Parts: sequence; structure tokens; C-alpha cells
Amino acid sequence: MYDKTVRRRRAALLIFVALSIGLLTVYFGESASGGLHAVQRGAQEALAPIEEGASRAFKPVRDAINWAGDVFDAKSENKELKDEVAQLHEDLAEAQTAQREAEQLRSLVGLPKDELFPQGTEPITARVIARSPTSWQSSIQIDKGSGAGIHEDMPVVAAGGDGGGGLAGTVTSVSGGTATVTLITDESSAVSAQVMPDGAAGIVRPTVGDPSDMLLDFIEKGRPVSTDTTVITSGTRSDRFESLFPRGIPIGQVTEVDAEERELYQRVHLEPFADLKRMDFVQVLTRRGVEQAQVLVP
Amino acid sequence: MIPGPSSVIRVGLMILVAVVFQIACLVQIRVLGGTADITPLLVAAVALYAGSVPGAATGFFTGLLLDLALGTNLGASSLVLTAVGYGVGRYREQRDPSHGLTPIPVAAAATAAYVLAYAAVSFMLSIDAPVSLLVVREMLITVLLNALIAMPFFAITRRLLRPVLLVEPGPRARRDSTISSGPIGLRGLEV
Repeated sequence: MYDKTVRRRRAALLIFVALSIGLLTVYFGESASGGLHAVQRGAQEALAPIEEGASRAFKPVRDAINWAGDVFDAKSENKELKDEVAQLHEDLAEAQTAQREAEQLRSLVGLPKDELFPQGTEPITARVIARSPTSWQSSIQIDKGSGAGIHEDMPVVAAGGDGGGGLAGTVTSVSGGTATVTLITDESSAVSAQVMPDGAAGIVRPTVGDPSDMLLDFIEKGRPVSTDTTVITSGTRSDRFESLFPRGIPIGQVTEVDAEERELYQRVHLEPFADLKRMDFVQVLTRRGVEQAQVLVP
Repeated sequence: MIPGPSSVIRVGLMILVAVVFQIACLVQIRVLGGTADITPLLVAAVALYAGSVPGAATGFFTGLLLDLALGTNLGASSLVLTAVGYGVGRYREQRDPSHGLTPIPVAAAATAAYVLAYAAVSFMLSIDAPVSLLVVREMLITVLLNALIAMPFFAITRRLLRPVLLVEPGPRARRDSTISSGPIGLRGLEV
């Protein structure tokens, strides 16, 4: 009797472990159009209404708890924001002047106008209905899918904590009524980017576990990068690597520059503009600029 | 646990509610930079009250639903939560814990095992990016938060499972104290 119980218990464990490993193996081995991926999309579609209902129902509770935490940070943040507003007023004046000049120059050389963000894009607003609970995979589910015109590889932007906003991720899987967005903080993410205004180009990669610190790699030592400058998507296009993002989506602000003696490249730290920890809504940019400017990564 | 459709439906609904609540609500509530995670708590609670086989099965299906709902690597959460459920169930079968505060260390140990094992599986599968030490802090906060909510969570789970449990878990009956006085040879007996 005892042996039978022990055998039954061990058999159950073996079956569940073998099933898990089998699922992992098949899932990694198949393409995105494979059977398990299709089952996954179907499950997401089926669970979406429940997740959306739960997300809406518990939003007041969630906001109340998060508000309590925010109050502690508000005082110090207030002073920083006032300084930032003053700085932004100056930047705005400069940007408006630069934009006017750029428009005049563009009309002179006949460049297409709709290549940049946001002019070349059509945003669709979607509600975040679920998100990954671990730091190892950063993804969210949204309540709009192919039925709303969303397709894989479309860029997604989100609002920032201080009212701004920036790049949040890309659509990696779509079903009729839902889509999965892999965030730029996911370990698989890599975004070709440029530091403004001098145009030093590199690749923005995440630091797993710290969504407020990202790395801009492959910036040569000879290109000086200063803190507080803005990093945008470069929208590169080449035979080997084509950027998924249109040019000009703000990604973040440079916070620190590491220049190690032995390294060929500088390591630039940046803080993303989008508040990736708390997102209730995002915008999917459904139309990309047809003719993107070709910017080569050095 | 009494095998049958009633148990399956009951535990299945608990898994569905826990997973949906976790990914749609709880994950957005950040306390000290981390979040509570009730999925390992549910698996540990079922394993503690029902044993290793129901614990492993609950772990497998909770992980499966989690991976299906999030579009993450199918099987990774199942593998880890199966091991957590089986481990907690074996602890219950071997030690028969009866202390009223048992849920707290069980929840903390199950959560720590889950976050560490999931990190190991993630590393083995596909992590190329640099990893911040903040991950460790986040893991510790998750363990701490889960330990804090363990008592009410385990109490609710126990109440929901009670109709389908073979043996009602509860405090062990206290033995009568032995009598230490009396003649040698008759010590401990009523004389």
C-alpha cells in the first residue's frame, strides 16, 4: 500500500515535469505561427474580457494604494519638475526655431515630410489589461488587436510620469481582440537610437530588473555625450538591419556616461521617458513613414 | 483531497481567479519597488492542505495558465511551480505541521524557491542583457510581501478547499500532561 502511494506520487511529479519540459522544448522549437503559439493567442483572446473587467474593477484600489506611495515622493519631485518646466520652456523656443528652419530646408531639398514621428504615424489608444509579474520577461497585454488594425512589429508609446512620454515597446503577437507588447525593458529588446542634437548613434538595451536605467551601447569614445540630452529612435534602414521604429520617437534622457579606459565604446545610461512601471493606456503607432531617412549606424 | 470533478472545478476556479487577479491588478501595485505574487502562494496553500500530488498538479496548471495568458515561454512557470507545489506537499506529508503560524514560513520559502528557480530557468533559456542588482531587492520584497499576506491568504484558501479535503487541517490535539508525582514505577499513571 505504501509502495503504491509512493509510486503514484513520483509518477505524478514525473508526468508534470516531463509535460513542462516538453512544452518548453516544442515552444522554443516552433515558429510564431506554430500550434502552441496559436493556442497561446487563443487563450489570450479568451481571457482578455476577464482581465479587462478585473483591471477596470480594481483600478480605484490600485490607484489608492499607489497614491499613498506617491505622496512620499511628491515633495522632492515638485522642485525637480519646476526646474524642468523652466528648462523645457527654453528648449521649446529653440525647438520651434529649429523646426521652422528645418521645414524651410526640407521644402528646398524635397524630402518627404511624413517620415518622422509623430507626423508619419496614426496612433491607436489601447488599455493595458495584463502585464508580466516578473522582471525576466517584460511584456503587457492590450485590449486591441488585429481587428483594430494592429499588426506585429508596430511601435508602442506610453505616457511618462511627469506628463511627457516616449517609446514603450513593440507589438510581438496579435490576435483578433488583443495584442502582446514586448517592452523596451525586456531582455530581448534592442533599439537603434541617436543622441540629440549631435547625432551619435548606438543601440539602446535594457538592464534586467531596473526599468529606470537603460544602456546606450556602441557610442564611440570620440563622440562626447553629455547628461540630460535626449535620445530618440534613429529609424535606421540598411540591407542587414532595419529599425522597427520610425525616426524621432523619444526614448529617454541621458543620466550618466561611463567611459572606461579599456573599452572602445562609451556606455551611456539613460532613463526612459515612458513610465514603464505603471501604464494604464498605451498608443500603438499603426502607420509608419513610407520613406524613412537612411541613417547609418557608425 | 477527495478526487473528483468537484475538486477539479473548485481548484480550477481558484487558479483562474488568482492568475487573473495577479496579472491584471496586483502586478500594478508596487510597494517599496516590488510587488506581491499570489501564484506561488496559491500553489503552496493547496499543497499544504491537500498534499504533494494536488500541489504539483495545481503548480503545473497555474504555471500553464500564467504562461498562456502572458504570452511568455510556455512551460517555464509550470516547471517551477510544479516543483514548488510538490516540495510544499512533501513537507506537509513528512512533518505534518500544525502550528498556527506555519503559513508564514511556508509562504516565504515557497516564494523564495519560485523567484530563484524562475530566475535560473530564465537565465538558462535566454537572458543576454545585463542584470541589475535591483532584481535581488525586488525578489526579497516579493518574498516579504508574500509572507505578510500569507495568513489571510492561506485562511481563505483553506476555507474554499474545506469541502473537498479528506482530512481537515487544524491544530493537533494536545496531549494530557503527564503526572510527575507518585511512586516510582507508577509515574505518569492515574493512581
